[in-house]
Amino acid sequence: MNELRATIAIVRRHLDRRFAWDFVAHVALVGGIAFLFGRLLTAWWTPLAVVSALCAALAGERSLARSLRRLTFFAMPLYGRQLARAHAIAPSLMALSVPLGYAGGAALRHAPLSPGMVLSTVLAALVATLVSLSSVFRDGARAALYITLAAALAITVTVAPFEFEPTVARAAAFATLLAAIAGYFALRAFGETLARYDPVA
Amino acid sequence: MIVLRAVDAGFSRDDLIVEAFSFTLRAGESARVVQPNARAASIAARICAAIVKPSTGTVFVGEYETRLQPPEAKRRVGFVDAAGFEGDEHGFRCEVAFRADVWNLDRNGAQERARHVLAALGDDAYARALALALVADVACVVLDQPPAGILERVRRFVPLAGIVHTQAVLVPALPEPAVLSPAVT
Repeated sequence: MNELRATIAIVRRHLDRRFAWDFVAHVALVGGIAFLFGRLLTAWWTPLAVVSALCAALAGERSLARSLRRLTFFAMPLYGRQLARAHAIAPSLMALSVPLGYAGGAALRHAPLSPGMVLSTVLAALVATLVSLSSVFRDGARAALYITLAAALAITVTVAPFEFEPTVARAAAFATLLAAIAGYFALRAFGETLARYDPVA
Repeated sequence: MIVLRAVDAGFSRDDLIVEAFSFTLRAGESARVVQPNARAASIAARICAAIVKPSTGTVFVGEYETRLQPPEAKRRVGFVDAAGFEGDEHGFRCEVAFRADVWNLDRNGAQERARHVLAALGDDAYARALALALVADVACVVLDQPPAGILERVRRFVPLAGIVHTQAVLVPALPEPAVLSPAVT
């Protein structure tokens, strides 16, 4: 079994025309929010909070859940961890639309984000997305709890280093390390979720 | 050669109960799994195809237990959902290419095989789902509540594969309640 070929096939299935339109719409929408309401969000960490919350909600949305719960994916001869890696790529790419839009909106408002903040928003988007993906195979309160946990973890992972490290470079490096660890465990948890899930609906 | 063996395989969750079933299926044989309703029959088919893990008992596809080695089991089973494949011609060709990539098959060979199956079985939603299931060289075909008459045609196409098909027992409709005359007390 060629795992790479299977992964590429699954990613290509997710990257359709609708994906492209959604990406553009998210950039425009988040850019508009950052442009219009950015001046109201004065605390330095608000971009991280906004990006984390939006990405967690985006990855947990029901249309993605319907897409990933299709029976076709569960009939494929792949382990849960292999399926998780393949499924995580497209939502992670989609998540980049949020920091991109926010950075664009802030730049249009003549208050551009610093490079360290841009990096942190990207990390927050990826962590929030990877953790929130496990909510896709849960319903009701448990799904909501996962989405909340995803946003809280992404904010913590990216805000804490800037509070405790003296320089931006060291804080960014520390945040990258924390995000990599959080993302790794989130992906493992998603693989476990997929392996345990029984498509009975 | 045993291609599929179910030992007291059942499933229960909330209001969904799949009655436990056991059988041993050899190459070239057929088996029918009967369940009390359509939903249970669908889940029974998924249990046989290693898509759903049984909550009781075990299922082996060849020598692989579906709960422990699902990819190896799934690679040997062609599963056909009761709903069939409802996409159009282009969607079907894309789905065949997708399956060829995931199962690591030759794309042109897979398209050719799918066309061959459709030519033999007709071109409706169920036949298309069947063609997708048979794109890979499988040892066992699991048919979820197939339409009448398709089993013989599938058997002609895959004479050496084991075939499992599920069926829901049709509960006869209750007789109309007798209308009591107002005079009767």
